[in-house]
Amino acid sequence: MAAIASALLIFGGLRDSGPRSQQDRIDAITMRLACPTCQGESVYVSRASAAEAIRAEVARQVGSGLRTDDETIAYIEQRFGSQVLLLPRSSGIDSLVWALPIAALICGAAALGVAFRKWRTTDDGAVSAEDSALVDAALATKNVTDSNS
Amino acid sequence: MLSEKKAKRVAPIAATVVGVVLVCLLWVLVSAKPNPSDNADSPLLGQPAPAVVTTTLEDKPFDLARRKGSWVVLNFFNSTCVPCRIEHPLLLTFVQNQLSTDNPAEMYTVINDDNDSAVLAFFAENKGDWQKIRDNDGTIAVAFGVAKVPETWIIDPNGYVRLRIAGQLSEGLLDEQMSILKVQFGS
Amino acid sequence: MFAGGGVSSSIGRAFLLVGIIGSLFGALASISSARSRDRTVARLIPRFAILIFAAAVGAFATMEYAMITRDFSMAYVQKVGSTATPALYNFAAVWSALEGSLLMWVLILAGYTLAVCFWLRKKMDDVLANWAMGVMFIVSMFFFLLSFGPANPFAVGAPGVFDGPGPNPLLQNHILVMFHPPLLYLGYVGVTVPFAFAIGALVTGRVGEGWLLATRRWTLFAWGFLTFGIILGSWWSYEVLGWSGVWAWDPVENASLLPWITATAYIHSVLVQERRGMLRVWNLSLLVSTFSLTILGTFLTRSGVLNSVHAFSESAIGPWLLAFFAIIVIVSIGLIGWRGDRLHAPGSIDSVVSREGAFLVNNVLFALFAFVVLLGTVFPLVIEAVQSRTIVVGEPFFDRLVAPIGIALLTLMAIAPVLPWRKASSELLSTRLFWPAWCGVGALGISVVVGATGFMPLLTFALGGFASGSALRQVVLATRKQGLRGLVGRTNGGMIVHVGVIVIAVALAASNSFTHSQELFLKTGTPAYFSGHSFELIEIVEETTDRAISVKALISIDGGQAYAPAITKYTKIGMNIGTPSVKTGIRGDIYLTLEPPVKQDSGEAHIKVFIKPLLVWLWIGGFLMALGTLLAAFPGRRRKPTDATSALIGSNDVE
Repeated sequence: MAAIASALLIFGGLRDSGPRSQQDRIDAITMRLACPTCQGESVYVSRASAAEAIRAEVARQVGSGLRTDDETIAYIEQRFGSQVLLLPRSSGIDSLVWALPIAALICGAAALGVAFRKWRTTDDGAVSAEDSALVDAALATKNVTDSNS
Repeated sequence: MLSEKKAKRVAPIAATVVGVVLVCLLWVLVSAKPNPSDNADSPLLGQPAPAVVTTTLEDKPFDLARRKGSWVVLNFFNSTCVPCRIEHPLLLTFVQNQLSTDNPAEMYTVINDDNDSAVLAFFAENKGDWQKIRDNDGTIAVAFGVAKVPETWIIDPNGYVRLRIAGQLSEGLLDEQMSILKVQFGS
Repeated sequence: MFAGGGVSSSIGRAFLLVGIIGSLFGALASISSARSRDRTVARLIPRFAILIFAAAVGAFATMEYAMITRDFSMAYVQKVGSTATPALYNFAAVWSALEGSLLMWVLILAGYTLAVCFWLRKKMDDVLANWAMGVMFIVSMFFFLLSFGPANPFAVGAPGVFDGPGPNPLLQNHILVMFHPPLLYLGYVGVTVPFAFAIGALVTGRVGEGWLLATRRWTLFAWGFLTFGIILGSWWSYEVLGWSGVWAWDPVENASLLPWITATAYIHSVLVQERRGMLRVWNLSLLVSTFSLTILGTFLTRSGVLNSVHAFSESAIGPWLLAFFAIIVIVSIGLIGWRGDRLHAPGSIDSVVSREGAFLVNNVLFALFAFVVLLGTVFPLVIEAVQSRTIVVGEPFFDRLVAPIGIALLTLMAIAPVLPWRKASSELLSTRLFWPAWCGVGALGISVVVGATGFMPLLTFALGGFASGSALRQVVLATRKQGLRGLVGRTNGGMIVHVGVIVIAVALAASNSFTHSQELFLKTGTPAYFSGHSFELIEIVEETTDRAISVKALISIDGGQAYAPAITKYTKIGMNIGTPSVKTGIRGDIYLTLEPPVKQDSGEAHIKVFIKPLLVWLWIGGFLMALGTLLAAFPGRRRKPTDATSALIGSNDVE
């Protein structure tokens, strides 16, 4: 079963979904740009006029076919500054936004691991001497009570 | 037994750690300011100005390249934007003052996301007889990287961008900056 | 016609003042009754609860009356009221801006306080119940104070004003504005109740399972409405905003999602506490976090610290909310630290491969999820405070980090329902997972045949099939055993909720990965083609009402019914709003927007077409989640005392 599943996954995953239309390219680029007058919305999402203008510019550049996606993004970034990048760079203090979740994941997994190891090493079923004595005492009392009733 | 004692200490320690992290977060939030102010930097400063080819409201052609030889001031404007309306008298004063200098700067209003009739109505009421140029699909705004209005740009007689003021002008700022630039870059 | 000058304002503020005093005395009565166990004082508590509810209803009714009668003497009505707004939207205009929506919060909170009081009516001499009521009163008092002071909706407006702009145009063109905020608030505000009981448990030291179980339905109720409210919000966003998406990782959306994440984690981990008596600190922390996150979220979105579609302009309430958040967090952490000795649990978890282990992993994943969303929302603020520059943390950040978490959660959903408590052997697992696993492979096969590509979407589809197999297996087994009763109860209802979640996950994967759009320039009479559909412009009509001028393009899809995307100019505000038109289908939606400029007589229209695969399944999944929540609220099979079990329930504390 695992073989069938993996085969299907690999086949589907690597299969080419066909050439990207111009609109697909425009959409992909605008999804990577932030609207400069909104707080955090991408140019793809935003209906603000600045976003419309940038979408029109991206459409023009994709239509002319002269630039790649990254070059178009660089062009827009050159004009508007880094405020138009939708993702923080992976350098300097900005990289914390990527590093902290990874750190949190490692912490969480480690905490789970430690917790499970700690729980497993406590007593795996062998009866301790203390507990045996307790049980014997209780049974002795029970026997006495039984024989009295 | 030992684990119970340890557990007695774990909870307060964990609570303190979480508390410290949250206090830091709170400090950050307390010092967080709503609405950051704009900076007037631009990668275009000192570069040749982007091409601006469009029409004026009087349906005459406008080409920034043909304005070489004069200082050009581009004011990005929208008739509903409150700071634009507030700074308008300062633009009138500036244009008036420029008339008495040699090589007076040319003022142009770039209409940002507005319709012609609203702009005409505004200027009819508030005066200002310089050219207003159209930017219907926002190409000029994108070329300059203008997202919010008002913005004021100064371009020197050789066609290089020399100054960007983002946001509402303060009194005398434009005149002062213009005289500094004229001294710095000649004529 | 007008209520006259400041009369309505005074009445409204008087109601709020009564609310403040009522909740203050209610809190005092509750706490004093808790400490002295005085029955006469305890009898006062319900009266104060009724009083503050009446005050809240009175204040809200005064506001609505002013809005309905267009009383422009009030500043708030001047801000969001208008003679041109239709009655329904005018009614909803009360909660369209900050002050009014806070008033709605007050109303719902007072309602919950009264409801809890009624539920506790026979237990009013119980100390924990008293403390819980005390907390409810204190929180109510805070919100009454906010409404009376900094966010005053009853402020008198400038004189001589006889009309207003009406609410934001985006809030007056779809009926969902009537439902989404109140329903969301029912959930958002509702998490106050479990929080109150958590504080009560900490203060009294009775941190065992009894009260947590008793308040299960309250938590479920609040969680259910929060879920429903969030899904309705996405639906509204889809129908109104015009970018054809449902979720933009906007700060306001994140603010509503964060408490949902911690509440969902709680719903799962409380089961471990119930069965094994463990995770007490964790569960209490989750309840505290959920409530604190609602306050933090409100602060982030209302103080103007971040901006978004909903966020209203900066208001004076920011410092108040932040201070309240700080107090809650400090008090709660202090209490947990103080009661740390009582919170040590006797049990331990034997094996990762057990239901307890699965719940633990589930909680770690949800904690990570919450951390990522919180980090992404707050990080720009941190950078700005530290370095004074603006950065953006946008959708790609969230998408990239949340997707793997989602995949992990789907995997867990597939395996966990078949896991027994304590320990599972691998033979047991492979027997029970056999059919669900084949469902997964089947789903994968179908997706590949249908033409889906891409590793992540296919993995999602496969795991979705697997997980729904597990969930349905549980439901089928239960119905086989008990007939229709097998559909109700916590576990079975929960499985249906899971199916709903899986359907939503699959629909999200499909619509995010396989959406295609195209701009079309249509001329009347000439159809255009895209993605196997034809689009023909029939005509362009213009409609004028006294609040807006609407230009609609009637477009016939595949020669059938006409859909009319529009551009509406709201004359009073001067804003142009695009309204999309959607053709919904089982296999996907066709979403149309009209692009400016459009002239009525030109016979031409510039439209944008989005093909959204499987989008309607988002709402179907949401409906399933609601249905499952309802079913889970019913009592399920009563557990017989002689049933084999991992631990006795309710044995750890004296009731």
